[in-house]
Amino acid sequence: MPEVLVVDDSKVMREMVVACLRPYPDSRFTQASSGLEAIEQLSLKPYDLLVLDLNMPDIGGIEVVEFVRGQDHLRNLPIIIVTTRGDEASRERALQAGANRFMTKPFTPDSIQGAARALLEKTPAEAPRG
Amino acid sequence: MSGTGEFAEFLPAYLAEVDELLASAQKDLLAVEEAVRKGLAQPRAVRELFRALHTLKGLSAMVDVEPVVSLAHWMEASLRLADQAGGRLPESSVEPLVEGLRAIEVRVRQLGAGKVASPAPANLLERLEALGPQVLDAAPKRARPVMLDAEAAFASRLAPSEREQLEGGLSGGQRALRLDFVPSSERAAKGLNINTVRERVAKLADIVKVLPLSGAAAGGASLAFALLLITRAEDAALLEAVGGPPAVVRSLEAPASAEPAAVDVAPGSAVLPASAVPPGAAGLEEELDEPEVRRGGGLLRVEVSRLDEAMEWLAALVVNRSRLTRAVAALTQAGAPTRELTAILQENGRQLRDLRSAILRLRMVRVGDVLERLPLLVRGLRRATGKAVRLELDVGDAELDKAVADRLLPALVHLVRNAVDHALELPEERQAAGKAPEGLVRLTCHARASGQLELTLRDDGRGVDAKAVAKAANAPVPDSVDALLDLLCRPGLSTRQEATRTSGRGMGMDIVRRIVVEQLGGELRMETRKGAGTTFTLSVPLTVTLMDAIVFECAGRRYAVAVGTVEELIDVGSVVRPAGADGLGLVERRGAAVPLVSLARLLDGAASADGDAGRGTKALIVRQRGEPVAFAVDRLLGQQEIVLRPLEDPLVRVPGVAGATDLGDGQPTLVLDLGALGAARAGRRKRAPSRSGEWVS
Repeated sequence: MPEVLVVDDSKVMREMVVACLRPYPDSRFTQASSGLEAIEQLSLKPYDLLVLDLNMPDIGGIEVVEFVRGQDHLRNLPIIIVTTRGDEASRERALQAGANRFMTKPFTPDSIQGAARALLEKTPAEAPRG
Repeated sequence: MSGTGEFAEFLPAYLAEVDELLASAQKDLLAVEEAVRKGLAQPRAVRELFRALHTLKGLSAMVDVEPVVSLAHWMEASLRLADQAGGRLPESSVEPLVEGLRAIEVRVRQLGAGKVASPAPANLLERLEALGPQVLDAAPKRARPVMLDAEAAFASRLAPSEREQLEGGLSGGQRALRLDFVPSSERAAKGLNINTVRERVAKLADIVKVLPLSGAAAGGASLAFALLLITRAEDAALLEAVGGPPAVVRSLEAPASAEPAAVDVAPGSAVLPASAVPPGAAGLEEELDEPEVRRGGGLLRVEVSRLDEAMEWLAALVVNRSRLTRAVAALTQAGAPTRELTAILQENGRQLRDLRSAILRLRMVRVGDVLERLPLLVRGLRRATGKAVRLELDVGDAELDKAVADRLLPALVHLVRNAVDHALELPEERQAAGKAPEGLVRLTCHARASGQLELTLRDDGRGVDAKAVAKAANAPVPDSVDALLDLLCRPGLSTRQEATRTSGRGMGMDIVRRIVVEQLGGELRMETRKGAGTTFTLSVPLTVTLMDAIVFECAGRRYAVAVGTVEELIDVGSVVRPAGADGLGLVERRGAAVPLVSLARLLDGAASADGDAGRGTKALIVRQRGEPVAFAVDRLLGQQEIVLRPLEDPLVRVPGVAGATDLGDGQPTLVLDLGALGAARAGRRKRAPSRSGEWVS
């Protein structure tokens, strides 16, 4: 039962992401509306996948990725970054920081599901639960 | 069409969120404009504006609204640069940005109305695209000296604008502090998490930045948040806000003897495009600072229809309670010991009333939020008319039902428009009359104990010229201010030969009065003094009840009935037994006979006991205690949303009449509750199960 943390300050966007990923069998979703809330959530409970917006009011997606990758127990947490056209420079930095995949709006349910599946269905050795 | 695709079902939620984004963007743009005029930077508003457009662009891309995506894209691009330049925009950039927001708004309205968003105007896109270079030219090319304790402030993780903010606080006599909060499951269970902590701290301080820390920096905890603040609050209050130890407060000010913190800001580095910002330096995405009130923080957005649903369920409860009351009364009459039962029933009644007012409160919106578009309106009018105008809003914390607010806003917009366009004089004229060149339009409001909200719109313009109005209306000069208002509210009246550019031929005072008086059941008053100004006072009820209604004609009168109560509309073709002298007949519906009641006869007594007029050609089928009853009516006129005005006076409350409404013709129309009328017909003792009637009062 994969635990997915969806982080975006736009409620509609979070709901769209959840709607896209819901068909993935047995997945459970937690939503966070800011980067800080996401970091707090990650410290309280293990997650299998992090879906992260880049542009948020407190700390942005890149900073979250940098923080997450600096934590031993989160080092291998799969991260999908949701970006918007114009974020290309940040995308580069997010990649360096250790993000796994990028989805650029507009994306389709199939594409983000595919990305989630690819990240979640690695062998356990590759993707220890974070 | 635009607005479809994979995420079409999200369109209503999209529209609601975009509405909110646009409202906050407009507010921020006004703040930016104000700062630009004074030659100041406005980093917070610029960043918020950037963020709103960035979010808007992404959302619009998801629901496939390309015109909005392009508009938002070019606005965002220039704002990104302005943000990196410390929140400075050239004056020439304001107008295209205002137009851009307006163009987005127009397209969002089109989508909301079920239309296709029209393409973005090419010349506007070009002008927005050209903003980028202008922004770069306007950026200052100097770095400011720094007085922060670099280590305590994690200076390397701060953006130049954030450092500027902290230093600004210090030089303004406030304290710049770092406050650490350590989250835990126990604290989260007690409601103490980073979101609530931020809300609590935001009441005491300006939060410039929050940084997550781990390892040594977190002081041994696995995770800590460092909140960097500007504040005048005491340490103790701040510590309490973050739940006490292990929290610590420390100053960010460099000791007097220390060298200025070693934060190298290369001249001009703040204006590099994002792609040139080296990794590790705080680029825009990471440095978004804390708005005073986080959007959505502690708030929940709910579709009005869901609240209506809750109201429906409550209505069912109320009806059930009356059944229970009757049953208990019957028991009491039969001599059963019902004292405790009666007490519980009374308590239950109180609880239902409390529940009802709690649900009604959920529908209340802040008047201040409703009016947040007025400053932008006045700004536009200022440009269009060349008049100097100051708009003062003093609306406090007053609240108003969403349905009332939605109806009232157009009336207020019209009055403000009129005030600027017609009432206020040009600056030269004002000076000649010994007035300040800048005209004042002031809107105040307060809730009255009577469940009414009173709004006052005052201008210090030329006053209403009674003679000119009389001439335009081709009527004698009115002898009182009320008569003058009546004249002003005549449909089609205009004291101008031609429609002016701003007031256009839009809504006249007659529509203002119709909204306030007829639709909302309120009052409109006016005071005016030649040369000194005009004051309009609007009193409106804080809440109204809205419903979808079927409108029909019967015996020459129009009536409305709630759609939800009508099960079916049928043709009275196959009458099994025509209505007799008692007004009762039978009609066939899908093979079964249904009692047919002549509504005309029921409403008019014996007046139309016979003859075709009362028999009707159509019938509305309602359920009455589970049994269908058909009410014959003469003609169906259609379906529309109505504002139900309950008949408040218990003396005029009649079973079967839920209230009255105005269908737009100025005539009061009765809203019937056919279920209760049926009960009255049957002569049973059942009290009116008049849903709306029973609890709207």
